[in-house]
Amino acid sequence: MKGYSGRFLKVDLTSGSTSFYEPDHDYYQRFVGGAGLAARIFLEHGDFEALPLAPEALLIFSLGPFAGLHLSGASRFSAAARSPLTGHWADSSCGGNFAPELRYAGFDGIIVSGAADSPSILIIKDLEAKIESCPELWGQGVESTTSILKERFGQSFKILAIGPAGENLVKFSCIMNDGHSAFGRTGLGAVMGSKKLKAIVLKASKKTFDVQDPENCKRLVSDLNNRTKESVTLGVMRENGTAANLEGGVHLGDVPIRNFTSNFWEEMAEALTGSTLSETFLVRRANCAFCNVACKRIVQIDDGPYAISRGPGPEYETIAAFGSLLGSKDLAATCKAGRVCNDLGMDTISCGSTIAWAIEAFEKGDLGLTDTEDLTLTWGEMTTVIDLIPLIAHRKGKLGRLLAEGSVSAAKRTGGDSASYTVHAKGLEAPMHDPRGGGHGLALTYAISHRGACHVFSPMLFMEMGACYYPEIGFDLELEPMSSDNKPEAAVVAVALGALENSACMCQFADREITIPEWVELFNCVAGMNWNIEDMMKTGRRIFYLQRLVNHGFGVCAKDDAVSSRLLAPATDGAPEGIEINFEEMKRRFYELMDLDPISGMPSAQVILDHDLATETAGVMGDLPCRGQEFFDQALSRSD
Amino acid sequence: MEFWKDETEPIKAFLALFENAKKDPELSEGLKKVNQLIWFDYSEDGPNCSFHVDCRNGEIKVGVGKPEDQPDLTMSLSADDAHRSWSNKLNPVMAITRKKIRVKGSATGLLKLAPKLKRVASIYGDTLREMGWENKIIA
Repeated sequence: MKGYSGRFLKVDLTSGSTSFYEPDHDYYQRFVGGAGLAARIFLEHGDFEALPLAPEALLIFSLGPFAGLHLSGASRFSAAARSPLTGHWADSSCGGNFAPELRYAGFDGIIVSGAADSPSILIIKDLEAKIESCPELWGQGVESTTSILKERFGQSFKILAIGPAGENLVKFSCIMNDGHSAFGRTGLGAVMGSKKLKAIVLKASKKTFDVQDPENCKRLVSDLNNRTKESVTLGVMRENGTAANLEGGVHLGDVPIRNFTSNFWEEMAEALTGSTLSETFLVRRANCAFCNVACKRIVQIDDGPYAISRGPGPEYETIAAFGSLLGSKDLAATCKAGRVCNDLGMDTISCGSTIAWAIEAFEKGDLGLTDTEDLTLTWGEMTTVIDLIPLIAHRKGKLGRLLAEGSVSAAKRTGGDSASYTVHAKGLEAPMHDPRGGGHGLALTYAISHRGACHVFSPMLFMEMGACYYPEIGFDLELEPMSSDNKPEAAVVAVALGALENSACMCQFADREITIPEWVELFNCVAGMNWNIEDMMKTGRRIFYLQRLVNHGFGVCAKDDAVSSRLLAPATDGAPEGIEINFEEMKRRFYELMDLDPISGMPSAQVILDHDLATETAGVMGDLPCRGQEFFDQALSRSD
Repeated sequence: MEFWKDETEPIKAFLALFENAKKDPELSEGLKKVNQLIWFDYSEDGPNCSFHVDCRNGEIKVGVGKPEDQPDLTMSLSADDAHRSWSNKLNPVMAITRKKIRVKGSATGLLKLAPKLKRVASIYGDTLREMGWENKIIA
């Protein structure tokens, strides 16, 4: 197929060997790439019994068909594995510059298995790959690792690296691209660390790849780039970053405050919003490869306790996770915390959320001074928080070791009432959009997401905001965010679109400028899919069902499609005060619309046939029971 | 038009709205932070159906028609949708997505006003009452 390379690099770190793997052409047509293709490859090559941090576990990097196009939003890719944070299937998405380079080198992805004896790096130059020992890099931060490798190989090499958190198997450690873009969620840095793979170094000689219909592709890419350049909403994001509307979000009740205990804090809104960052610490805007949205920030803080040199600045999730969520309105502190997390290689969402849980646990007496080794945890006390981040990354002290497991495991170990104020779905800490104010549909999509509480699993956030209008597929609903009306119906569209977005590996901001017919045209002129709209939407649904099938192989059932009680309790202040989320009815209706079994959570036989998933189902379903908590506890125990 | 009998009515109402908004300390401060020259262009409902607000340099000036200076931001929509918008009954993101509102220029400044739309709607309701146009208030 055009667009794709038709080739994955297979790396066995145990033997030190590399080889090529050519997926069935049919996989590309049916599962697109990125998250969808990774799930299918796992079914063929993976082992449901392998613990997340065991050598047998797979770590799959997978491109979509558009990586390498000079198209805004197209330079993302997926990483997928069994998550050490949640115990089940997970994928994460990363922007930056690695994806196009990997396509130009001649690969659609990398499948990593085994574990090296000593810290290693994988070096890819075009189609040649080799593994080298790198003991000198173990223990280095992401920033210095990236810098040392670029010094050694050349500044034009693209780097994926883990930090000390990944080395220490912190359950929410991430993988960083050139120190600024992240596979943030679900702890895939720990999977890379368990394999003793410190970094991947990549260079392609040529900078082109073949597409099906070059002339139409060029025209369409040009049209779309012009649109993203002229878009009002993306213009706002270019100017003030992804936190451009944080202030508006506070007034809607979308921005979580003090571990989701409040939905309104007026003074914080202006202090943390994107325009304030632009007016204070911003020195430059930055972008992923070929993207004219340029929502990334480069910041510098010269003075004070949170001084940082010129470098990557925080985006919305980091600002909220290390700001409002911790009871702080100190923007400089969010910049510092984000920078420290980046260098240590930790997901800012899960890290901020786990610390928020710890502060509440300390406040409520579930954690005492003995547990914290005399550290006093207080809302808004950011110097303590920033001192705590390295303790987590290095698993130092009682508190560092406890929090390195993530909030859900930490609560299990802590006991008392502490599980009641964890905020997550399927073990993944919730992102910085509170469904009570941000939109009730988010509660549903957090719950039904295979990876857990994730705002980019589907475009529901944008749908409830009013930023989606797709009459060609029947989505012309005018949704009221703080209502459950029409949310299951919207979710049916959202899960298919989300699966396509995460498999085509397109940015959800730039995506909003692409119409449904243009999506189809893009797939057809790049990859020769020969789809019509229904073919494309069916593919999206197929991927959604496939990811559920894989999760079922790990024991996930309908009862796991849930969110923490805190996300459903009526808000006590702000715009959503007192409003109930009708979660169970939304879930029941969604299950009905998607023909999912209310016990197993699996698609019906008819759905499996309609979506051409019989082979995949046979590989997963068997007589697998819902495995229960013991199975997950075993999966989440450290395997080192 | 659903809410207006001719093109002069909406402009009268919106100019009065902004004159009242200037007297409200919270909104007045909010408008100054916008720091832009904005042209509200409703000319699809009549050639003279537009007004402008100049929030630059710490002042708020309101005038009929297109401004003499080049506007930083132009918002084009129907006078009916403008009425819904000032009444806080039109989701601006949805309206932009569905091309009911067409925006030219940077909307960054205007985003600062988004949290104050409820306050604007309250003053707009009072303004319509003062003008004897209670019947135009959207329930």
